[in-house]
Amino acid sequence: MLLLTSLVEDSLDDGYARAAARRAAGEPPARHGRVVLVVGLVAVGLLLTTAAVETRQRADTVAEARDALTAEIEGRSAANDRVERALDRARARAARERRQQLRATDEGAAVERKLTRLETVTGAGAVTGPGFVLRLDDAPTDPSGADVDPRTDQSDDGRVSDRDLQTLVNEVWASGAEAVAVNGQRLTALSAIRSAGEAILVDFRPLSPPYEVTAVGADDMRATFVGGFGGSYLAVLRDYGIDYAVTDEEDLSLPASAAVTVRYAVSPRQMPQDSDDSSDSEQNRESTP
Amino acid sequence: MIAALGLVLGIVAGLFLEPTVPTWLQPYLPIAVVAALDAVFGGLRALLDGIFDDRVFVVSFVANVLVAALIVYLGDQLGVGSQLSTGVVVVLGIRIFSNAASIRRHLFSA
Repeated sequence: MLLLTSLVEDSLDDGYARAAARRAAGEPPARHGRVVLVVGLVAVGLLLTTAAVETRQRADTVAEARDALTAEIEGRSAANDRVERALDRARARAARERRQQLRATDEGAAVERKLTRLETVTGAGAVTGPGFVLRLDDAPTDPSGADVDPRTDQSDDGRVSDRDLQTLVNEVWASGAEAVAVNGQRLTALSAIRSAGEAILVDFRPLSPPYEVTAVGADDMRATFVGGFGGSYLAVLRDYGIDYAVTDEEDLSLPASAAVTVRYAVSPRQMPQDSDDSSDSEQNRESTP
Repeated sequence: MIAALGLVLGIVAGLFLEPTVPTWLQPYLPIAVVAALDAVFGGLRALLDGIFDDRVFVVSFVANVLVAALIVYLGDQLGVGSQLSTGVVVVLGIRIFSNAASIRRHLFSA
């Protein structure tokens, strides 16, 4: 308390009182007093102005840097989109030309059929055909419920989880689906359905409800799915208020997966069945660029 | 009169010269400003009390700025720079307030 009291009460420098006492005692005033005062005040003004200018400049610099970064992000995203579209076009053209070339010969036609089958199974090619659509939506929120998150006014119970989607998609595959997509995202054998926070991610892209599982496959696929574990799982979900609908569709079209990447490739000349020295030539090629 | 002229001269010089503060000095600028304000308010109060002294004012201004910067520098070296900055601002802020209150009593007798 002593410290605070003295701080508040002796806020004026002792020096002033002492100087006044000296003056009262008849001491002559300090020489160059005025000059010193003017120099000091110039220093005060300079300091205050410099601080003000500095602060404003720094704010400008920060805003400029942010604007520049934003512009760069937007520019790069646009360039990315352009390149992606060009890639899509080039892929489509390559696929078309490959088909044309393969159809020219009987052997090629057989390869093309194999290729189409593989593209369907792996998700590398777009697929059209009959199938069904399973629509799922989070339960309507009941803000008065006991298990409601007070921050979001939402209950966790009625929300479709990544686990639900995983189970249902697996059941769809098990029912004989040839191609499956979730909210327009084609699934491959390597697709991951996960969650981050409250969002469900398919191949690291966030989905927003309602969720739509689209499946193309044989005619009895829907009956197998609804009659099997998938149907009973959906019934359990309905107990939690999660609404679903399964509808037949005659003409579904699923896009190719964007996540298919070439992980392993062999040039035709180096096919394993060619000869034993293929590995040697590969090594030679690596050592001599 | 000549004192006000000095202040204006300093402000104008700051505006037109726009001196660049070296990076290592920038953290101490806000503290230096608060210390300078404390000296200015102290000087104003002394003026109204009738005991103003040129030399005391200038010395208190320079010493305030240097000591405040030194304390913050020391705090930075010890890893408690932000806490010590807060401490300096609180102490100087209290002084500025009580000096301003005293000035107010002089000017408005209230």
